[in-house]
Amino acid sequence: MLHNYLKIAFRNLWKHKTYTLINTVGLAVAFGSCLLLFLTAYHELSFDNFHTNGKNIYQLYNQTGLSNKGVPMPAPLTTALKKEFPQDIKHIVRVVSGGTIRYGDKSFSKTVRYVDEPFLQVFSFPTQRGARPESALSSLSSVVLTETAAKDIFGSENPIGKTLSLQDETGWKPFVVSSIVADYPDNSSFRFDMLVRFEADPTYQLNKDNWDDSYHTVFLQLADNVTQASFEQKLRGVVKKYYAGNLSNLKRDGSQPDENGDLYSLRLLPLRDLHFDPEVGTAEVPPVKKSYPYLLLIVAGFIVVIACINFINLSTARSLTRSREVGMRKALGALKSQLFLQFWGEALLISLFALTLGGLLTYGLLPVFKQVFRSTTSFSYFQQPAILISLLIGFLLITFVAGGYPAWFMARFNTIKVLKGGISLNRTSILRNTLLVVQFAIATLLITCTVIAWQQINFLRKMPLGYNEDQVISIPIRGSINGRQMLRLLRDRLSQQPRILSITGAYKNFGRGLDGSTVTSIMGFEHNNHSVQSHWQIVDYDYLKTLDLRLIAGRDFSREYATDTTTSVIINEAMAKALGDRNPIGALMQVDSGRAPLQVVGVVKDYHHESLKRKIQPNTLIMDQGWPIGYALVKIAPDNVPATMAMLKKTWEELDPNSTFQGSFLDENTDRLYKAEERLSQLFISAAIVAIVLSCLGLFAIAVMVMTQRTKEVGIRKVLGASVLSIVALLSNDFLKLVVAGIVIASPVAWYFMNQWLQDFAYKIDIEWWVFVLAGLLAIGIALLTVSFQSVKAALMNPVKSLRTE
Amino acid sequence: MIQTVNLQKLFATEEVETTALHGISMDVRDGEFVAIMGPSGCGKSTLLNILGLLDNPTAGEYHFYGTEVSRMSERQRAQLRKGSIGFVFQSFNLIDELTVYENVELPLLYLKTPADERKARVEEALTRMNIMHRRNHFPQQLSGGQQQRTAIARAVVAKPKLILADEPTGNLDSANGEEVMKLLMQLNDEGTTIIMVTHSPYDAGFAHRIVNLFDGKIVTENFHV
Ligand SMILES: Nc1ncnc2c1ncn2[C@@H]1O[C@H](COP(=O)(O)OP(=O)(O)OP(=O)(O)O)[C@@H](O)[C@H]1O
Ligand SMILES: [Mg+2]
Repeated sequence: MLHNYLKIAFRNLWKHKTYTLINTVGLAVAFGSCLLLFLTAYHELSFDNFHTNGKNIYQLYNQTGLSNKGVPMPAPLTTALKKEFPQDIKHIVRVVSGGTIRYGDKSFSKTVRYVDEPFLQVFSFPTQRGARPESALSSLSSVVLTETAAKDIFGSENPIGKTLSLQDETGWKPFVVSSIVADYPDNSSFRFDMLVRFEADPTYQLNKDNWDDSYHTVFLQLADNVTQASFEQKLRGVVKKYYAGNLSNLKRDGSQPDENGDLYSLRLLPLRDLHFDPEVGTAEVPPVKKSYPYLLLIVAGFIVVIACINFINLSTARSLTRSREVGMRKALGALKSQLFLQFWGEALLISLFALTLGGLLTYGLLPVFKQVFRSTTSFSYFQQPAILISLLIGFLLITFVAGGYPAWFMARFNTIKVLKGGISLNRTSILRNTLLVVQFAIATLLITCTVIAWQQINFLRKMPLGYNEDQVISIPIRGSINGRQMLRLLRDRLSQQPRILSITGAYKNFGRGLDGSTVTSIMGFEHNNHSVQSHWQIVDYDYLKTLDLRLIAGRDFSREYATDTTTSVIINEAMAKALGDRNPIGALMQVDSGRAPLQVVGVVKDYHHESLKRKIQPNTLIMDQGWPIGYALVKIAPDNVPATMAMLKKTWEELDPNSTFQGSFLDENTDRLYKAEERLSQLFISAAIVAIVLSCLGLFAIAVMVMTQRTKEVGIRKVLGASVLSIVALLSNDFLKLVVAGIVIASPVAWYFMNQWLQDFAYKIDIEWWVFVLAGLLAIGIALLTVSFQSVKAALMNPVKSLRTE
Repeated sequence: MIQTVNLQKLFATEEVETTALHGISMDVRDGEFVAIMGPSGCGKSTLLNILGLLDNPTAGEYHFYGTEVSRMSERQRAQLRKGSIGFVFQSFNLIDELTVYENVELPLLYLKTPADERKARVEEALTRMNIMHRRNHFPQQLSGGQQQRTAIARAVVAKPKLILADEPTGNLDSANGEEVMKLLMQLNDEGTTIIMVTHSPYDAGFAHRIVNLFDGKIVTENFHV
């Protein structure tokens, strides 16, 4: 019997090639897209889930009032926490980055992290060789390398016991390789090439008792029996005890308390949420909103729904051509359940084939996909049994619904009626029409959302940042020469070059450079009896000139004033407002109680010194010589950029043969900040296109079917004198009504969701009414094109022919 | 042995109620050949469907070889139908996707007949119906007469006690019709009970008995020798 079923299944599939093709290709594309979306979403959701202690690990952050979050902590806080809660805290780890390394006479651009001793006990980066996690960092002069870093530096030599030199502000210091750990996986928020002890960082000696300098992050591994809520409760006591001054200042300034009534609080972010908190999450891997992976899954669901609808519509419509088979089988004594199984089996067969095809598609397209969307996901997730099983269950559920309904529909055919030949397509039209409306509602929803998301992203990209981003190259200074010295050398070598317009330096970069790092430093101080917080940027001469920042009051830094390298500052408008002086020029800022006050010498027009996700914050520019210069900023002439770039690179490498040139334009750097969003919107656009194409495919097939059914009617109408146009209108009309219904349903839903989405942006577009009109027209246009192809064909048919076929 | 007592069939749609059968009481003995005649719409097909266990009557009794079947579920009817009734339709109702051989084989598959016996019986039926040479053709590649011979082969392959034929010659020319009638006669001679609906007095002439229906009622019954 099975043999007979298979035979008839294959013959049927072969006979109705168009439908089989549309069905399988449609399903395969849907399955393939879903698998890709699933892989991407899973990759994002799986971030940092590989740490064995994961559920007990938290990152510490502070929050001022309701929303202002900060990650950098002062060094003595850790000491205080250890003392206060020896029971609750299992391990506490401080992390700060820095340093350049040298082995022999070669220097390497590697990411160095200064971490506390238990780092490798808290986080799971398995040891490959050398000392175990407990002892790998027991010495202040130990260094732990990742496998790849070890290979890069030592090649095939055994790295254990070898000595590396690490450069910091104070010069070169030797470290001995104690252990090699496995490379961090792609879904790790922590990215590092080497680890050294936190105490080995020279700034530690200066800052270990300084509560005013917050410069590192803190991770806690709590004891098993301690919950996040209970520990956060305890941290309120810590704030009262150690941040009393801070609290009274906030109170005096009339700060808004948070939901617990706290003006300032220390809080915990679970490790698993690190990747989803744009404010707290690490800078190395740009965090994404947690809703994004879920949105991807929803879109994947939409695509499956559309494919299922196609499958149901096509199968039920096509099933009518098999009604005689059903009737005859029933007359011969087949049971309903037998027929159901037969037809469901056929559906399963198609689905399995489509799944295989879709799987191959995913596998084949994954490299391209990863490249286009800069995704680091991997096909190997499918090797995890839990995922494989849930996918299989999902697949069976889909085939159960998509194949089950048509099978049930067919098994229920009235034997006598079908043997008489009396079942027509119209009987199923309510369900079919509902499904088509749903399908087009989804497609319109996706079109609308995509258009709005694209507008918003474009808006952010096109928004003037207030500084020259396309002519300025930023170069991380990571070699053996100190930043200020490097600047001096650069100026000497390049000042005569006509293509180099201006050179300056800064402590912090704009956006995210090729070194991958972003730094935030914020200073807080008292000013006229209220506290002021400001971003702190250390700059060099010609900063304003290089970046085309507009001075709106006062003057620029100048070599003519000796105080400019010590106490002069230039502030932005937001800072001027925060200070609150009527005339900010000349205002004195007592930032450090032990030192001379800083004096405002100039005010620049606000510019976006941070990501566009945040409103412009107060910012202070200072030439303080006590801070390092991390980046050289070079403005070049707009013509012949490649040659200038090459010249810069050559000069750079001549000046410091030990370092690699990592210059990039500022606009590239700021684009990197929106990479995550952009990548995801591209993904949405692609998914929307897949969804729309699939919807059209289904509509096309249904149109073919309906036209075939109506051939006779069209013939009669033509004989009676109807024009081609009136017939096309007649035939397309039914479909258009459905599409319009879909649009009417989708538009308010799209408006609601996109409005929610836009709330997260500090700078956002207004949703315009024409977007909905455009999306609607687009949907109508596509549908009309799809349908009219068939209706025109039917309308042009010779009536004599079409009547004879009956 | 088939017996109906006062069979009624009512078709109720939203607008109209049609009484297709108005109290049909008839007996058909084993081995009998009965022809049912009457004007279009008088209820011949409706009666045949009920006799063939494809449908239930609205009222009345139907004893099918001693079993009262008029209140049976579809499932029970399907079980009873399997192998005991063969159908022949005016429009052949062959499955387009199956070859002649496979179409004829189908009833045996539902009866779970073992493969070797199945093969023997299908070939026997095909040979009898003189269609063996076309065994690997699909229905569309056959003439109307050949299609109907295939349908008859399919109706007899399971060796049913009863064959129901609804205008078996309706779509055939006279030569092909004659041949189909001969085949039915032959089957009847071998003991198969046949009930046939027809519009053709000539075809009806082959039957032992002609039942004339009018407006859902039996009006006359003519017996032949
Ligand atoms: N499914 C149905 N629903 C409603 N009315 C029906 C249905 N099937 C048959 N009828 C009605 O029942 C009556 C008998 O129909 P039936 O098909 O038995 O006629 P018939 O004698 O076989 O006619 P013909 O010689 O044209 O085949 C007709 O009036 C028909 O309209
Ligand atoms: Mg009839």
